[in-house]
Amino acid sequence: MSLKKFSELFDDLDSINSTNNKIEVLKRYFLSNEPIDNSWAIYLLTGKSNKRFISGRYLKNLFSQIHEYPQWLIDTCYLKVGDSAEVITLLLKNKTISKDKKLSNISLNELLSEIIPALSKLDEDEKNLEIKNVWETLPEDNHLIFNKILTGTFRVGVSIGLITKSISKLINIDEEIISHRLMGDFKPSIDSYEFLIKKNINLQELNSKPFPFLLANTIEDKIFKHSINDFQFEWKFDGIRMQLIKRSGNVSLWTRGQELVNESFPELVKKMSYIKDDFVLDGELLVWNFKEQIALDFSLLQKRINRKSPTRTIQIKYPIIFIAYDLLEINGKDIREIKLENRRIKLEKYFSKWQYKTENNISDIFKICDLIYPKDWSDVLTYKEKSRENNTEGLIIKKKTSIYSSGRKKGIWWKYKVDPMQLDAVLIYAKVGSGRRAGLYTDYSFALWKDQELIKFASAYSGLSNIEIKELDKWIRKNTIEKFGPVRSLKPEMVFEISFEKIQISKRHKSGIAVRFPRITKWRKDKKINDADSLENAYELMKKIS
Amino acid sequence: MRTKKEYLIRYKDGNLYCEHADIWIDPIKPVKKALITHAHFDHFTFGCEEYISTKETAILLKERVGDNIKIKTFEYGEEFKINGINISFHPSGHILGSSQIRFIFAEEKWLISGDFKLQKDETCKQYEIVKTDYLISECTFGLPIFKWDESNKIANDISKWITNSPEKTSLLFCYSLGKAQRLINEISQTNFKGNIYSHGSIHKINNIYREIGIDIKDTIKIENKKKIDELKGSLILLPPSLSNGSYLKNFKNIQTAFASGWMSIRALRKRSGYDKGFAISDHADWDGILEVVKKSEAKNVFFHHGDSEALSKYLVEKESINVLLFGK
Repeated sequence: MSLKKFSELFDDLDSINSTNNKIEVLKRYFLSNEPIDNSWAIYLLTGKSNKRFISGRYLKNLFSQIHEYPQWLIDTCYLKVGDSAEVITLLLKNKTISKDKKLSNISLNELLSEIIPALSKLDEDEKNLEIKNVWETLPEDNHLIFNKILTGTFRVGVSIGLITKSISKLINIDEEIISHRLMGDFKPSIDSYEFLIKKNINLQELNSKPFPFLLANTIEDKIFKHSINDFQFEWKFDGIRMQLIKRSGNVSLWTRGQELVNESFPELVKKMSYIKDDFVLDGELLVWNFKEQIALDFSLLQKRINRKSPTRTIQIKYPIIFIAYDLLEINGKDIREIKLENRRIKLEKYFSKWQYKTENNISDIFKICDLIYPKDWSDVLTYKEKSRENNTEGLIIKKKTSIYSSGRKKGIWWKYKVDPMQLDAVLIYAKVGSGRRAGLYTDYSFALWKDQELIKFASAYSGLSNIEIKELDKWIRKNTIEKFGPVRSLKPEMVFEISFEKIQISKRHKSGIAVRFPRITKWRKDKKINDADSLENAYELMKKIS
Repeated sequence: MRTKKEYLIRYKDGNLYCEHADIWIDPIKPVKKALITHAHFDHFTFGCEEYISTKETAILLKERVGDNIKIKTFEYGEEFKINGINISFHPSGHILGSSQIRFIFAEEKWLISGDFKLQKDETCKQYEIVKTDYLISECTFGLPIFKWDESNKIANDISKWITNSPEKTSLLFCYSLGKAQRLINEISQTNFKGNIYSHGSIHKINNIYREIGIDIKDTIKIENKKKIDELKGSLILLPPSLSNGSYLKNFKNIQTAFASGWMSIRALRKRSGYDKGFAISDHADWDGILEVVKKSEAKNVFFHHGDSEALSKYLVEKESINVLLFGK
């Protein structure tokens, strides 16, 4: 019965908006199901299983073959639905009526630990046959879950925080402990679930795992009323936030997304293991220009993230550095409860000790972040404006007396980001969105003037309100020049303010420029297309910055 | 092949028009003579000189347009003549009084499907298969992702949805004419035995249905300022127009749902702003449209009311049916 129950849980979570109700539903589910199924449910709901066994395209092709549906028809359906797994689910309805539903009592565990892993070992013909077989013998209500897990697109409006809360309420133990237990590599098993819900807290077991990350909030005006001396100022780097842990000699690198990434950065793991002390550091991983002591672009870091066991050449081409912000634990002692200013003193003390006492040179891969010392709040602004020059996103402001709690705790850490660059551009193409935005034109391309011509310079998906999206969708349908599948070219009429973080020369784009994080910040209904910016304006912006 | 102008029925100013009889079908602007397939607001307009419809549609139309309109009525299947064209209404299964309209002229048959569904619905006559040469069909749900569940299954889902939250008031939004009555009857046959309330606009139509002789289960008209506790665990049917306004402030501790065919798609469900969506429709699904096209034996098919591109291409490629386009 449990896959059926899990499908119902999915439907419930999908249709409940209130957080408290979601927690209630989850608690009820955990209480009434087997530990092994609960552990799989947690695994799925926390997004730890984004593994794609089979692509959406493959599944669509297979359906098309079995039921003799033309591919273009399935593609048209996709535009309306926005999710391959769901399209197939809807198309499969009533297709298998007479078959024996022998999988109707299958458990979530059987599906995830037997059927699906077995599938990926089969050759193509056997695999197709087996998927077809599952479709026919699995009750329709469970098709969506099956297809979504297969295609690695299982997502429902539940955050890891919500799961943490539910379990914490279920067994009456602090959220911090649960969130600690949930960190990192959660392997579904009876043991892992029992570990999660056990009532006695064993620090030893928790040892290999990172602490929950403390996150910064957006700047609030009220902090400007405080004395500048109450705060510590750091640059906000644009890398991967990470906890670097060394306990009992073993080093582990945990990202904020709770991934263990030792394999991607072996040179860092090796170097850090030379240090004699045990510790937990909170910091940022970056690709670094050692000559100029400046961070390199995030796109270079991306070349490292997904590559396991990088070659020596890659390691030299994209040299990394770990910049520590904070010391959370030292030689087995959790110091998160002491004040930031005192943790900083310890961090500096230990860092200089490590630098001089470690046999191998560690400074070519590890340093602590430099602090900034603005004189007053207007000086803070000056620093913030300078942050583009050193390739940072702005400043992080931390209260000196704060302790290291978890989550986006209010009133202790703030991010003060540099203002975005902006250009007014003309909407020229629109594309149908996917997922929740299926069937609506929500992916937009914008152009700037070059002489009398509009040249595409950026695409953006976000920034409009739902009401604006609907309004624009209507306008798009009425003002289409041409349709190419999901894309429409549009009458140039609408002007939008586009904000972005970075602008650089790019040979790959017709416009000759590329921008980072473009997004819509205003629908400039007050502007005509002749008021939009030109590529020349964009080049000027670029000059101003470098 | 004839030119578009020579078709007996064609598109003119966004409406279906038969020039030979100077008659419009479901016009959305005032005209001299209007044939009305059914009484939903997007199928008629005020101010036509003369309306022609089934008896049931006429009663509903008078309720909506006013008693003083000039309206001629005919029974289902009864033939009448306008300028040499034989015209007749046939049940389309969409709502009470809804009809397909057949034209026969010079041995050529034309059929306008109107809005239709094939699913069983106790509150109106079942769709009748009518043979034709030319078919003008709606295609609101003209993609194979649309496949309706039996209405009693949906009614059971609704019943479960209400009874699973006994401490809440369940607000179900649906079109006040047709859908509401169908749902009331279906839901009364489920395990849900609590009170069903209906909004004034729905209540009014329930009464008209009853006067016409359709048995609609009793519901309580929802009055403003009802005691909130009384509504705990009950179902209230409301028209979708009330879902965004301040009206919902009359209630406490509610859950909302929308009953519509579009709710079969998760993205639309999420975007709709309702907590829950029930996919029940008074239009035909993909298989329904295909069945009607085939059983009508039409050699030529036109589509309107919906995105017909995929459906047309499919019929041409897979079923070798001639699908024509109206010049709009």
